[in-house]
Amino acid sequence: MFKAKLKEAVICLGAGRVTLPYPFKPSEVPPKFRGKIEFDARKCIGCGGCANVCPPRCIVIEDIGEVARITFYLDRCIQCARCYEVCPENAIWPTEQFETATTDKSDLKSEMIIWMSSCQRCGRCFETDNAIDRFQSKRWRGRGPGKANKHGIFPTKPPVDFTMRKSLVREGEEKA
Amino acid sequence: MDKQQEFLSDLWEHFPDVLEDFQEHVKNQFVATIPREELPSVVRYAVNRLGARFVISVGTDRREKTGDYTISYVLAFDEDKKFLVLQSHLPPDDPTIGSVTPDVPAANWSEREARDLVGIVPVGHPDPRRLILPDDFPNDIHPLRREYEYNERFPVEPENAYSWKTAPDGMTVVPLGPFYPTLEEPACFRLYLDGEKVVGSDYRGFYNHRAVEKLGDSELNYNQIPFVAQQICGICGQVHSVAYCQAVEEACGIKVPMRAKYIRSILLELERLHSHLLWVGLAGHIIGFDTVLMQLWRIREPVMWLMERVTGNRKHYSSNLIGGVRFDITPESADDIRMVLNKVEEEFKAVYDAVIIDTTLMARLKGVGILTTEDAKALGVVGPTARGSNVAIDCRVDHPYAAYAELDVQKQVQDGCDNWARTVVRLLEIFESIRLIRKALKDMPGGEIIAKIDHPLPAERIGLCSVEAGRGECHHYVLTGEENRPYRWRVRAPTYQNLQAVACMIQGEQLADVPISIGSYDPCFSCTERVETVEVNTNRIRVYTKGELEDMCRQKTWK
Repeated sequence: MFKAKLKEAVICLGAGRVTLPYPFKPSEVPPKFRGKIEFDARKCIGCGGCANVCPPRCIVIEDIGEVARITFYLDRCIQCARCYEVCPENAIWPTEQFETATTDKSDLKSEMIIWMSSCQRCGRCFETDNAIDRFQSKRWRGRGPGKANKHGIFPTKPPVDFTMRKSLVREGEEKA
Repeated sequence: MDKQQEFLSDLWEHFPDVLEDFQEHVKNQFVATIPREELPSVVRYAVNRLGARFVISVGTDRREKTGDYTISYVLAFDEDKKFLVLQSHLPPDDPTIGSVTPDVPAANWSEREARDLVGIVPVGHPDPRRLILPDDFPNDIHPLRREYEYNERFPVEPENAYSWKTAPDGMTVVPLGPFYPTLEEPACFRLYLDGEKVVGSDYRGFYNHRAVEKLGDSELNYNQIPFVAQQICGICGQVHSVAYCQAVEEACGIKVPMRAKYIRSILLELERLHSHLLWVGLAGHIIGFDTVLMQLWRIREPVMWLMERVTGNRKHYSSNLIGGVRFDITPESADDIRMVLNKVEEEFKAVYDAVIIDTTLMARLKGVGILTTEDAKALGVVGPTARGSNVAIDCRVDHPYAAYAELDVQKQVQDGCDNWARTVVRLLEIFESIRLIRKALKDMPGGEIIAKIDHPLPAERIGLCSVEAGRGECHHYVLTGEENRPYRWRVRAPTYQNLQAVACMIQGEQLADVPISIGSYDPCFSCTERVETVEVNTNRIRVYTKGELEDMCRQKTWK
């Protein structure tokens, strides 16, 4: 008993101070860190490769006549880095930024609209070594009818009517 | 019958005419189709007589392909290092199957889940209450059926209510949950107490069911799922991602380069290292011994920073794709890992030497939360929970994956059957993990890190993969499909099996020992923000706030 406590006391005293001075001093990130992404509309060719591989659908591409609109929702991003791995033009890249908290949700949405001269839907300009990423799944581009919701998710079926949820009734309350 | 299938000869001798179809899609994984009338008795015989371990059962809606529903029971023959899938086709107008739960208690939740999500009714199930869907969800809608979209909004039926088990006469009811400040998965236990002694309990969970399986078979593609899979768990993300990738790779016969396998193993072991360090700290915290928490989490933090340097993120490594891994472990990273390991090993050794002889810990952990070997086997618990109850199962040895076949893993088994045994298993596994990472770094061959895939992945193949997470065996079942995505993807996390054993563990315990017993299979519980008491005689409810509770404690202490 006493021996164990003595050992534990020695460990605690030897540990010293381990708390970091963050946020009073900035926290350094390692070189491979995957932070918030940024993109350049001048480099983008609108192939939609990033939207095709994006697991949480935080990059959404819509073809509107002669232009393609690419929307990026940072609140959905999981920092997996797939988008800049597949981008053929290096039009999208990571930054070291990780402090993305905000009180205004619209800060988290960014959009670019690019004029497409040709090759709007063929996807041929999207080059990648990984074949699975080339096989297009249904519904990744030009989804079903209706408008996207605030998260950029398109309804694939019109939502059915639903009633509001009643507040939870605690057990026993009704009897009393 | 060749040598591969010898372990099944006894089964087919006992049931001579049941086989409709038998295939070996993948080495060591067999798929047998049998009539549904025979399925329960075959599962019962395999588990209770042949010593097979029940892993999961998977219900699949196959109406658009074959016009029926399919139920598959996955059994593991750990000693033979093989998996057997027993599947039956159920007609769409009568999707029922005889329940095996009365004889195979481990199947309890799996069967209820198939009923909730796919609508396959287990006839004769002893506890046919709802498991996964919310209380006010319509009774006749089963969301994993193919006619429903992933984002469909269903009507609510406020009249539907969950029926808790009735408390035995004169017992106090103490609700534990559903919200705890530090718990990563809300879970609600209802304890029935005689004084301080637990005489019964009930459980309701699945409050944040996120429907990833539905996304997997309707929206995501093969290479997107690993990243969604790693978000399933806040601790063992790499485990889920590797298990999914390996299940698809096995089903489709993709040869993963050896270097990629080693990288996966190294990341998995690093994950187990920080997971166990976290758990031992939390165990100390639960019983009020915060020195252990502080010191072990201090030791753990450098491992998290290391992961950030090696993979780019402290928790979600995002390292896996079908066919291999996305980034290499460079010689500089390898040196970095070795350096951190040396420091962690040295510091952890000091803590281990102190903790292993600490009588305070022993007083709270020894002889508490007993789960006997028989119960552990019957309930199908996995991981350190099973190994602490003298059940020697470890997927790294029993069903070797990634590079574990070459790493020579030693199983850590204790026969104490109590919380202390489970703690010791984890403490020893930390040393084992450090050893395995060093060995893997030394033996890692060079070469490619991802396999080349040129053609669409074949459909209608079944792939299974068990990966040993910190908490136990994590199992993924994948039925491949067209459209570049799986037709059915089923995930069974280790806690799914272990949670079912809690009722057994806390039976007859003191109330104060319940949190550590629940904590001993590795979720984390903290103190409740509020306590609700029900006076049994009048049914009146009184809710105490945190402040009131603290005042009561102070009064009691200073009186």
